[in-house]
Amino acid sequence: MNPNLTPAQLRELFLDNPDLEATRWLALSISVLLIAVVLLLVRKRALREEYTPIWVAVSATLVFVSLRLDLLRELTRAIGAWTPSSTVFFLGELFLVAICLNYAVRLSRAGTQLKNLAQELAILNARVDALAPRNSPAPSAEAGA
Amino acid sequence: MAVPGPAPNAARRGVLVIPAYNEAARLPALLAGIAAQALPLEIAVVDDGSSDGTREVAARAGATVLRHPFNLGYGAGLQTGYKYALASGAPWVVQMDADGQHDPRDIARLLEPIRAGACDLVIGSRFLEPTGYRMDPLRQLGRRFFVALARGFGFRVTDPTSGFQALGRRVLELYVGDAFPSDYPDVDVLLTAHRHGLVVREISVEMHAGVRASTLHGGMKSVWYLYKMMLSLWASSSRVTRS
Repeated sequence: MNPNLTPAQLRELFLDNPDLEATRWLALSISVLLIAVVLLLVRKRALREEYTPIWVAVSATLVFVSLRLDLLRELTRAIGAWTPSSTVFFLGELFLVAICLNYAVRLSRAGTQLKNLAQELAILNARVDALAPRNSPAPSAEAGA
Repeated sequence: MAVPGPAPNAARRGVLVIPAYNEAARLPALLAGIAAQALPLEIAVVDDGSSDGTREVAARAGATVLRHPFNLGYGAGLQTGYKYALASGAPWVVQMDADGQHDPRDIARLLEPIRAGACDLVIGSRFLEPTGYRMDPLRQLGRRFFVALARGFGFRVTDPTSGFQALGRRVLELYVGDAFPSDYPDVDVLLTAHRHGLVVREISVEMHAGVRASTLHGGMKSVWYLYKMMLSLWASSSRVTRS
């Protein structure tokens, strides 16, 4: 490598690097595998249908990018990154942050719903205890659940 | 949230809510002390998923037991009591801790302003008048900080972490919402009540050292408490502003 290259020239060198077919096929394989895993999880009822669009979208994006690496290169130029792989990592991290925040929101909502249910169960069990004859053993909360 | 409606024979008397987590050893003395006051109230012990027989001890003493299937936290325990009281048609609630730091002889005094319709919420304060209650320096600092913070919002209170309170129905209706914290409902919920136009008063009460006061003890727990309370204060004040 020529040691007299300026950073701008060096960046262009990175960007103009020819696409590797191996990279394209690896990305395509991962996309197909991801879709297959999502479908399998839905079939096994381990993943509900309403949670699948985001993963199908990720797989579709990966397929699209694998087929159109030139667009990834243009995006890399646009955001000022040096290599397409940096762009992929950057977008991947953004996606992970967004998805974590989304799940934190869902978890908060589920926690509130769980608390409300447990409270209603406690109140209803107290009502059942009050209706039961005094001398009979009170049903346990676990049994009520 | 929808709460079950009143029980068929529910009497319209007040409810004394006692959240309890593994308090089987201390509950009998407290419940006996309450019974000695012969107050027109239903005692509801909220067993927050205890494993030491708290439920059986409370039931033997004649209390209504509201048992959480698992531990939900002190605030959630209180809220279960509020929901039960509202659903039972209770006109007011008194809440006190199960660890024996609150004196049952103060219940009637705490209730007076509520029953007279003079206010919506009464706080039993350790600091309104000198009572000889000793608080360690770190907790004292925390208390002063939150007192000053509340004053910044135009709300004067001397004991924002007191768990000994009497609440009218309007407060209960506000507190059964999903915004009520599951862990430590302190100055943030008092401020919410104040900003909703509810009248809050304090009366002086004697207290013994208890265990719930650990929320303002040292270590990471106090850092978390400070962070959580600040965030909660901001969120509750912005909610009221928006509404």
